[in-house]
Amino acid sequence: MAGIEQAENARGSATALEPEQSAFAFVFRTLCWGAVRSLPIVLLAVAWEVFARSGAVTMFQLPPLSAVLERIWHDAIGGDLFINTGLTLYRAITGFLISMVAGVALGMLMSRSAIMRWFFDPIISVGFPMPKIAFLPIVVLWLGFYDVSKISMVVFDAIFPVVTATIAGIAGIERELIWSARNMGANNRELMWQIALPAALPQIMTGLQVALPIAMIVAVVAEMVMGGYGLGGAMMTEYRFANSRGVFAGIVEIAVVGYVLVKGMSLLRRRLLIWHPEASEPTTV
Amino acid sequence: MSGQPQIVIDKVCHTYRPPRGKPVLALDDVSLSVGTREFLALLGPSGCGKSTLLYLIGGFLPIERGTISVESKPVTAPGPDRGIVFQHFALFPWKTVRANIAYGLERQGMPREQREARVQSLIEMVGLRGFEDSFPSQLSGGMKQRAAIARTLAFDPSILLMDEPFGALDAQTRHLMQSELLSIWQRTPKTVIFVTHDVQEAVYLADRVAVMSARPGRIKTIVDTKFDKNDKNIFKTKQFVDQVDAIWDLVRDEAIKAQGGRES
Repeated sequence: MAGIEQAENARGSATALEPEQSAFAFVFRTLCWGAVRSLPIVLLAVAWEVFARSGAVTMFQLPPLSAVLERIWHDAIGGDLFINTGLTLYRAITGFLISMVAGVALGMLMSRSAIMRWFFDPIISVGFPMPKIAFLPIVVLWLGFYDVSKISMVVFDAIFPVVTATIAGIAGIERELIWSARNMGANNRELMWQIALPAALPQIMTGLQVALPIAMIVAVVAEMVMGGYGLGGAMMTEYRFANSRGVFAGIVEIAVVGYVLVKGMSLLRRRLLIWHPEASEPTTV
Repeated sequence: MSGQPQIVIDKVCHTYRPPRGKPVLALDDVSLSVGTREFLALLGPSGCGKSTLLYLIGGFLPIERGTISVESKPVTAPGPDRGIVFQHFALFPWKTVRANIAYGLERQGMPREQREARVQSLIEMVGLRGFEDSFPSQLSGGMKQRAAIARTLAFDPSILLMDEPFGALDAQTRHLMQSELLSIWQRTPKTVIFVTHDVQEAVYLADRVAVMSARPGRIKTIVDTKFDKNDKNIFKTKQFVDQVDAIWDLVRDEAIKAQGGRES
């Protein structure tokens, strides 16, 4: 019996332990892998530069990447880059965090109460596929041009995937898991916070990973329409002055900020879901 | 087994209502009593309602007709006097082995030091030392079920409800777990209701085997199966083999009925 037990133990630990490797080899491999993975982006950048300098297009139609980067560098030295990026991030992330708290709470309430479900289910079904950005003139009319209306737009759009993911995540919990907790004496409140929420966390995280880029997109679009500071507003100002270098600089800045946000979110997911089998698999985003 | 039986199931019926389609009568007029510290196996073909009966005793499903009482009190809700072990373990995947086992004790409000000592002794008992901080996803099937059994034993229920607990394990692990369950049961005697469709497992583990009919589930017969469980060669004794054959004959007809009457 002891022999079989040991064999079983060995099987378990083989998956838990990683093969040993030196720190240098690890850094080297990580760098190589990073280079291979970012190669398509590098190729795209080179193609942009070559095409813009080939004479097929004017500087106005497509400024070369180097000129755009130079412009970003100037903005960075002048400080505008940080003001604009900071403001856009502030609006996107504040809106995202409100969507997260309100969306998870609403999803949990709808999972628990038939009345809440009856009331909100059709509203969400109609609201989710609707282009919320169409409400922008109304939001401006009601809430003005400033942060409140921009953040409201973000929440209005980003909350839907969070609510639906929370409901789907809770609905997908095995009943045996709930029964086990009940068996061990968990009451309704403990069942919700200690069992349902962590059990639904993989799905909720997926919903948040969908909501974050939406928050970023809506923040930029709202800024473009409403004007003022922020990456979207700055881009529109450049556009009005027919400065295509400035417009392209805005696009590159938004791309970089968006990438960093999405990447950070996926790292957070791996940290939070360390218990999940997926945590031992390579990342996709 | 003295005085009033610990668990009395009296004329219980249960109708399964799928979200779509028509209702199915899963249990029809089931009556059964189980004595204190008795090991009873519920044996029957798949879909005969044996798991449903177990969930009713556990208080997880509402009892629509008939009554079930434990210690002379009617069952209305789940309780820590009846611990359940599921086929697919139902461990909390975000908790370590240690935290899984501790959960029931936390709910009971056991002080931290006492709790940790109890969790550690259970980990030793089921042979999971060295895996206290592993997550369920890092364990093999057999180890998951050991953790699940330890988690249920932790809050010390007087009744153990086991729903095909070894059904998802490979044959060798299953065999090992059966003898370990027996040795745990001999050390900490509890009333056990053990659902299975494996005749040999039922005869080996149980004092009595209740054979159920195909849907709608009824108790067809109850067979006494008391053997010397510590005998290593029990599987080879004529007495044991004959008993398994006799019960298998009873189950066979029902299994064929459950398949829709086709002999395959």
